[in-house]
Amino acid sequence: MKQTTPAARDLARQLLAQEAEGSAPSETEAHATLRTFEKIRRHMVKLVGVAGFQALLARALALAKAEVSWLAAVKVRADGFLEGWSEAAQPLDADTESKGSETLLAQLLGLLIAFIGEYLTLRLVRDVWPDASLNDISTSGEERPE
Amino acid sequence: MSDQGRVRIGRLATGVPGLDTVLGGGLPEFSFNILAGAPGTGKTTLAHQIMFANASQEQTALYFTVLGEPALKMLRYQQQFQFFDAAKLSRSIRFINLSQVVLENDLNAVLEEITREVEEFNPGMVMVDSFRTVVRRMQSGPPDEMELQAFVQRLALQLTSWQATTFLLGEYVEGEMRDNPVFTVADGLFWLSQNVERNSVVRKMQIMKLRGQASVPGLHTFRITDAGLQVFPRTFGLIGKEAKMPPPRRLSTGILALDAMLGGGIPAGDSVLVAGPSGTGKSVLATQFIAEGVRQGEPGIIAVFEERPQEYTARATGLGMDLDTPQQTGRLEILYLRPLDLSVDEMLNEVLEAVEKIGAKRVVIDSLAGFEMALAPAFRQDFRESLYRMIAALTGIGVTILSTVELPEAFTSLLFSPHAISFLTDDIIRLRYVEIEGQLRKILVVVKMRGGNHSKDICEYEITSEGMEIGQRLKDYRGLITGVPEYSAP
Repeated sequence: MKQTTPAARDLARQLLAQEAEGSAPSETEAHATLRTFEKIRRHMVKLVGVAGFQALLARALALAKAEVSWLAAVKVRADGFLEGWSEAAQPLDADTESKGSETLLAQLLGLLIAFIGEYLTLRLVRDVWPDASLNDISTSGEERPE
Repeated sequence: MSDQGRVRIGRLATGVPGLDTVLGGGLPEFSFNILAGAPGTGKTTLAHQIMFANASQEQTALYFTVLGEPALKMLRYQQQFQFFDAAKLSRSIRFINLSQVVLENDLNAVLEEITREVEEFNPGMVMVDSFRTVVRRMQSGPPDEMELQAFVQRLALQLTSWQATTFLLGEYVEGEMRDNPVFTVADGLFWLSQNVERNSVVRKMQIMKLRGQASVPGLHTFRITDAGLQVFPRTFGLIGKEAKMPPPRRLSTGILALDAMLGGGIPAGDSVLVAGPSGTGKSVLATQFIAEGVRQGEPGIIAVFEERPQEYTARATGLGMDLDTPQQTGRLEILYLRPLDLSVDEMLNEVLEAVEKIGAKRVVIDSLAGFEMALAPAFRQDFRESLYRMIAALTGIGVTILSTVELPEAFTSLLFSPHAISFLTDDIIRLRYVEIEGQLRKILVVVKMRGGNHSKDICEYEITSEGMEIGQRLKDYRGLITGVPEYSAP
């Protein structure tokens, strides 16, 4: 199974932190995580269709399970929603839960990078979070046109 | 109706080299077009190339994908092309997946979804890939032609009203064109095909219909490279251009005695054929012709097929002709045209571009046999027609063209060319071997000159370190053109 890359993991961490920042104090981390994936789902369904997004997220989850065992209790529904996340995360400490969120998102971003490249992946992420201040995920340092 | 009151149809540059010429000046703005062809013919690549060339933040583009190639894979592969500008995605170009709507709903829902996106994004260009799958899906029940016709008409109306230039991509075969409402409604019909013959593949494009302007009829070859599609118009982009007639004068071949035999040189703008068996010095004569032109300030092009340019230049150096310096100073180009499955149109495109670039006045094709071999088998069948078009195109822009052709040596007759192409040329110079006094010697004769009188002499010549040296008329022999003459002096 493929491990998440440091660049993808870093981007995932930034996105989750961005989403957690806007959360109400009463919200759990699970809420922020699910909101993050829902934002990506809504955007990507337009591009690749429901079935296309479901397939990608299911693959990302399968890869993430190899790194984070508690994710075994999570499923991807046919419509692309994550099922069983809140229940599986409830008994966990914050660090363990964060690692699961980060790993799954990093795997999803890693798949996108593998298919369409870093530049387009970052463009897609910026479309979802237009106001986010993100560090460039590019490790090559190559300049791309704006 | 006066020209003043007549609507002017805007034309969009397609960004595809050669295609605007084929379309008669570009893509009609707000037109509703079908881009059809079998899988693998280049429909998606062509659509992307046109879209990336035209999309901007002011003129955005929408690309609907439907049950065909998944968008993610499309982006993965299309970004390999040089025209793919990732910076245009999302702000100038948006990809929308319609699969779910098509699978779960009827044609009205599909139209509503397209309309909603078009109204939201306000695109100048819309692509639906593949439209065929939309129709196929909707016709999975009993076919309802009226419903389909109404759908296509409303779609065309909607997109045209929103001032979008549209392409519907589809895997159609020619037989489907008849009575198909999609084709009836379309303003433009672009047909892509790839024909396999023996082991070669030739891609062709035909504009079967284009409302509002005169496209160039016929099949045009095209190639797909890293840069995308390049179309080679059958007319070589020369339609509408006035034929250039060079001033009546004679061009020196660089061989004074031959100039004299030609009645003063080759008439400017002529097509000359130098025919003879291997080793008789056809390339030497051709090189001297080009070198003399360069010396007189007339840039030249040499198209070679059998030798590499370096070998050609080195051989010229051995004959005392410097082809290096004029190449460096832009007065000479040696084109090495050796890709497999070349079309005449591609080859000519290269030559015409080079002619325009350096303002060439003389062109050498060395040799026609090599040219024929470089062509895809499908074009070899029409070699004479290809040559006719090539010669007409080159002489039409005012250049003088000298072609060499290798002939098998026959010892009972005098062939002029293996393809009966001599009628295509204005002048013919025939080189051949003869057996005299136990030696294999060379003779030369000017067989034909359309522009006037020429010497009837059959002269001996030699290839020396100075090039071709023409000797005396062999008047003491009879039957020279048979190759085995008899001594006939008293």
